[in-house]
Amino acid sequence: MRSLLSFFALVWAVAVSAISTTGDRLLVVLDDVADQSSYSKFLGDLTSLSPCPLSVLRYWPRRGFKLSFETPKSESLSLFHLGERAYDHVILFPSKSKGLGPNLTANLLLQFINANGNILLTLSSGSSTPSSIVSLLAELDIQLPADRTGLVVDHFNYDAASAADQHDVLLLPAPHSIRPDIKDFFGAGASSNEVLVFPRGVGATLGSGELLTPIVRAPRTAYSYNPKEQGEVVDDLFAAGEQLALAAAFQARNSARLALVGSAELLEDAWFDAEVKTTSGQAAKTFNREFAKRLSGWAFQEIGVLRVNWIEHHLNEVGASNESNPGIYRIKNDVTYTISLSEWSWSSWSTFKVPANDALQLEFSMLSPFHRLDLALDPSHSTAEAAAYTASFKLPDQHGIFNFKINYKRPFFTNVEEKNTVSVRHMAHDEWPRSYVISGAWPWITGIGATVAAWLAFCALWIYSAPIDQKKGAKKL
Amino acid sequence: MAPKNRNNRDVTPSAASTAQTSATSSGSAPQAAVSTSAKPAVNKSVSSSSSSKQDWNSVVVNLANSYRDSAPQRTKLIDAFMTFLVVAGALQFLYCVVAGNYPFNAFLSGFSATVGQFVLTASLRIQTTEANKSDFPSVSPERAFADFVFCSLVLHFFCVNFIN
Amino acid sequence: MRKLQAVLSKSASDELVVASIFDRPEATRYTITATMSVDSLQTLANVGKGESTRTTLRVVILFLIAGAAIASRLFSVIRFESIIHEFDPWFNFRATKYLVANGFYNFWDWFDDRTWHPLGRVTGGTLYPGLMVTSGIIYHALRTLTIPVDIRNICVLLAPAFSGLTAFAAYLLTNEMTPSSSAGLLAAVFMGIAPGYISRSVAGSYDNEAIAIFLLVFTFYLWIKALKQGSMLWGALCALFYGYMVASWGGYAFITCLLPLHAFVLICMGRYSTRLYVAYTTWYALGTLASMQIPFVGFLPVKTSEHMPALGIFGFLQLLAFLNYVRSAIPKGQYQTFLWLFAGGTFGIGLAALVVATSAGIIAPWGGRFYSLWDTSYAKIHIPIIASVSEHQPTAWPAFFFDLNMLIWLLPAGVYLCFQQLADEHVFIVVYALFGSYFAGVMVRLMLTLTPVVCVAAAIAVSNVLDTYLSAKSPKPEDRLSDEATDAAVKKAPKGGLKSTSKPFVGVYSIFSKGAVVGAMTIYLLLFVLHCTWVTSNAYSSPSVVLASRLADGSQHIIDDYREAYQWLRQNTRDDAKIMSWWDYGYQIGGMADRPTLVDNNTWNNTHIATVGKAMSSREEVSYPIMRQHEVDYVLVVFGGLLGYSGDDINKFLWMVRIAEGIWPEEVSERAFFTPRGEYRVDDEASDTMKNSLMYKMSYYNYNTLFPPGQAQDRVRGARLPEVGPTLDVLDEAFTSENWIIRIYKVKDLDNVGRDHASASAFDRGIKKKKATKKRGPRVLRVD
Repeated sequence: MRSLLSFFALVWAVAVSAISTTGDRLLVVLDDVADQSSYSKFLGDLTSLSPCPLSVLRYWPRRGFKLSFETPKSESLSLFHLGERAYDHVILFPSKSKGLGPNLTANLLLQFINANGNILLTLSSGSSTPSSIVSLLAELDIQLPADRTGLVVDHFNYDAASAADQHDVLLLPAPHSIRPDIKDFFGAGASSNEVLVFPRGVGATLGSGELLTPIVRAPRTAYSYNPKEQGEVVDDLFAAGEQLALAAAFQARNSARLALVGSAELLEDAWFDAEVKTTSGQAAKTFNREFAKRLSGWAFQEIGVLRVNWIEHHLNEVGASNESNPGIYRIKNDVTYTISLSEWSWSSWSTFKVPANDALQLEFSMLSPFHRLDLALDPSHSTAEAAAYTASFKLPDQHGIFNFKINYKRPFFTNVEEKNTVSVRHMAHDEWPRSYVISGAWPWITGIGATVAAWLAFCALWIYSAPIDQKKGAKKL
Repeated sequence: MAPKNRNNRDVTPSAASTAQTSATSSGSAPQAAVSTSAKPAVNKSVSSSSSSKQDWNSVVVNLANSYRDSAPQRTKLIDAFMTFLVVAGALQFLYCVVAGNYPFNAFLSGFSATVGQFVLTASLRIQTTEANKSDFPSVSPERAFADFVFCSLVLHFFCVNFIN
Repeated sequence: MRKLQAVLSKSASDELVVASIFDRPEATRYTITATMSVDSLQTLANVGKGESTRTTLRVVILFLIAGAAIASRLFSVIRFESIIHEFDPWFNFRATKYLVANGFYNFWDWFDDRTWHPLGRVTGGTLYPGLMVTSGIIYHALRTLTIPVDIRNICVLLAPAFSGLTAFAAYLLTNEMTPSSSAGLLAAVFMGIAPGYISRSVAGSYDNEAIAIFLLVFTFYLWIKALKQGSMLWGALCALFYGYMVASWGGYAFITCLLPLHAFVLICMGRYSTRLYVAYTTWYALGTLASMQIPFVGFLPVKTSEHMPALGIFGFLQLLAFLNYVRSAIPKGQYQTFLWLFAGGTFGIGLAALVVATSAGIIAPWGGRFYSLWDTSYAKIHIPIIASVSEHQPTAWPAFFFDLNMLIWLLPAGVYLCFQQLADEHVFIVVYALFGSYFAGVMVRLMLTLTPVVCVAAAIAVSNVLDTYLSAKSPKPEDRLSDEATDAAVKKAPKGGLKSTSKPFVGVYSIFSKGAVVGAMTIYLLLFVLHCTWVTSNAYSSPSVVLASRLADGSQHIIDDYREAYQWLRQNTRDDAKIMSWWDYGYQIGGMADRPTLVDNNTWNNTHIATVGKAMSSREEVSYPIMRQHEVDYVLVVFGGLLGYSGDDINKFLWMVRIAEGIWPEEVSERAFFTPRGEYRVDDEASDTMKNSLMYKMSYYNYNTLFPPGQAQDRVRGARLPEVGPTLDVLDEAFTSENWIIRIYKVKDLDNVGRDHASASAFDRGIKKKKATKKRGPRVLRVD
């Protein structure tokens, strides 16, 4: 009975649980709530629930976000309630207003990020970007074109069907990772005749901070200009080519995420199923729906999330106690350290496999690292959901307060920064080798022994001769 | 054995030249004492003729003479022990110079055991010598020996503790 | 009848001793008066009374002296509370608690990971365990006797208890100098109440010196005893107490140097004796081995130059003994030749060995602290960390009078009297007095080692004067018989009688002159007692953890900012939150707040201290990485500007700068903290380096909000502060105590979105980021 109950509880939990690892409360901010109809497919994907939780067909994921819709000027809009986040995620669609009002200032948005909230931010060339967004992005080291207006055009890669004149609907190949060592989250599995349509969007330039990663870069031939002021001639170019990021990812140190999409139109239903024609005249299908799903999935912590299940370190010496995670070791102890990692991918935890050209490294450090070791996969402690990585080493000959440090930060993955402090003590007074163990000390031990023995003999002889002495003394008296 | 020893004891340094019995007493002395006292005896026969000159032979001979003649048996026992300690200490020191002082604490305790024992024994010798009686009004030979045993025990404890 | 009188005055003084606890200086004065009158009575008693009476009297008097010594040290407990004082005692207290809780072996192997973060401290091997072990033994002994007592109270009261023993040891030592037990009793009184000793042994001053001075005096007593009797047993006891002393205090080197010096002087005076040989060699052989048992000392006795004189004299004595023996054995003429050859050879070999050993590095050269004893400006130039400690400063001359009062001018008199007799033990007093006064002049702290000899010498002098003038009968030259009788009495107890005066007996005849001298002496002694009481109550009884001030109406006001702040730390921070502060407060934070610290008063690692100094004296951008690297969570500063408390961090700041400059001369420069005219200022004219230093910012952050605009005033330095206060980007103010004495700041984490702290806090203040796109020069391209 009990097991049956718990089974139903489990089923229910799986059915209603959010698929994001951080929560399911999603706020959608639109200028006009009616506009949501144009994004119905995108938003529908976000809310979709799988019909049967026990379905073995997990191809179409169950995402299950609970959407709330607000307008920027709404009185009831508040990101925080009693100091706690009121939503887990926010989608900001472009707004016509100059600022976003008192409830969405740059400061509040930054606080939202600092409180582990995720943001999907969309821009549009149709309206100038609100000032609070501009200053928020400026804090994150993302620059938008001057006067908050810009349009990316490319005279070589445009949709010949819809923008034959304006060249402002860019056709891009599916966005694969920009470097070989970065996992391909966004473009994997795209067929070669699928293109990403980037209609009438704004490009941004990214600073060189390690928290920023471009997802989609403009083609080498694209550039950005201000259609209002630079209609005739482009004298002061904001940015061009691959410096223009059309979609970018920002992940804060606390792993809160902000995804920036230069074109909100990209997410509209119209482009999800549209037929486009490349400049060479070939018809192509759009990749937008899959891209939108993956981008929002990344932003809302559905993919690329790493979890540390447990960390264990222990003494690796014969005859020593097998206590886990002791607070103190001794210098030159042999120690084993193991960390278990899982990766969340859409709907389930799986083992996290470190890429072949990468390594998970452990530092054993006090002020500076004394050891920096590659951790090896430890199959005996790994399960279907978690991979264990381990390393064994000898502690340095230096006492102090040391840290086992894991600092694994890779683009698009949440940060793994673990610090376990242990003290490394000196040799206790009875842990040094005894003198009789050291062969070099034997002569001196013999010396002491001889001295003591001779002394005993001396004393014996002395006492042996003592009665005479006393007799003599008596005689004298 | 007993009467001979008594003879020895009565000899005082002032009467050094008159005592003649020590040569026979060496036979009854402990084995170590024999070697020390026998050697000067050889020297004496070689160089006794040149005693008027201040050469080294005469110094040595005088030393040997005065020693052989004046020292009571217990003093000789002490001297034997001290000689042994000097030899033991020197050997240890030599070993340290030759082989290095790696377990330094072992060397220190081994060496200082002999040195400490040496000075304690020397103190005992001084306190039990009749000539120094006036210096130690409050120390009888028995008391001196008791002190000596106490100090030696302390010394040995420290040394063994230190050598670990 | 006299006995009855004596007992009466005893019981009267007994009550008064108790009364003296309650802050009544007069009471102690009466005690001494009583003691004095007892002394005179006793002198008289010498004539007719039996030995047992005098012994009883002596015992009773000694107990009363011990009572007075203890009582006069209790001011601080009564004024404030039973609390550990100052800085170092807090560590000793913490270590004792550890010892009591974890047992001796764990204490021996104690690795303390809550100090010197992240280096940790091998505490068991780097402290003198004598003090803690003593308290631990007392604690366990009392527990066995089913007296449940708090370990804190044992620690607080240990120093006064040992001061009673010190008085007893002084009595014994003085008795070895002169047969008159009145001198011994006087010495005990002086020792019991001399401010020079009280300064380190008031209740709560739980420091190594608390027991070390007792051990020092007692070791000297045993040494004199061993020397006088030529006994191995006393020598061994001396060595054992020397070992205890080594286990208790780093000042043991004083004994290590003084005893060989005494032996050397005796040899030079042609006073070599077999007794000296026995006493010295026994002491050295056993004492050195005993001292090597302490892990902190280890091999030092054979490796450092401080211990070499003792070794040298040891070898020298062996040679002398050998030569003496040879001399007794062979004729004089031969001996001369032998001597010259032997001495020349030995000297040559010894010198060569010393040079080789020193240059080969087998024997360490003199330590820095030791150099500073010879050249008082050495430390200031080379080792600022030593010079920065106030108790390492050279003594100002009023301090001698302040700490010793009339004893200091009785010292020469006592030394003179020792010269008059000049037995081996008197040579010791002379040597000790010279040696001790030199070192006391060089370093304030060493006043402590001078005090015992001053007490002994002064007691000899005073008792000599009193004995001469207090004899009731006037000698009548005509009356040979009575003269004989007095003479006999004097001989029985020759009160340091001058050789020249004792033979042709010169007496004092006039009652008036007797009365005048005795009266003057009594007044001096009364004044001395008054002075001691005053000094103790006013100068040496403040715990310095709690400050006291007087309000306008004269009532006492307790300023308790330190404990307020430490309590805040204890209750509001994580258990392992690392606190960075200047090293002065390290022990207190460890003891009272129980939080890990970066540096503390055990200044063993100069670099680590310099690191903290650098963090304090640099700009925020430089300090922040240092604090991150050392995992600092909170920074604590002491600021006295509001209250006028001058011992604050801004006044110590130049030492931080100097110590940091010693390690990083390119990055920190003392000159930059002064104005162009060479002034050390904190107001508008302060140099930019000063104003941008973390210490300045932490001290004055938000300070001007207390005042009307432009009126901010620093009451310590008497300076008007700049109108705009400093801003802090990398720190958040976490706590400021009631009187602003302690300010605690929390170190910010790295900015969550990757900005530097300056722009992050600028953004928080609402300043918009300048449009970087417009003004940036060459474009920075992103490469991936």
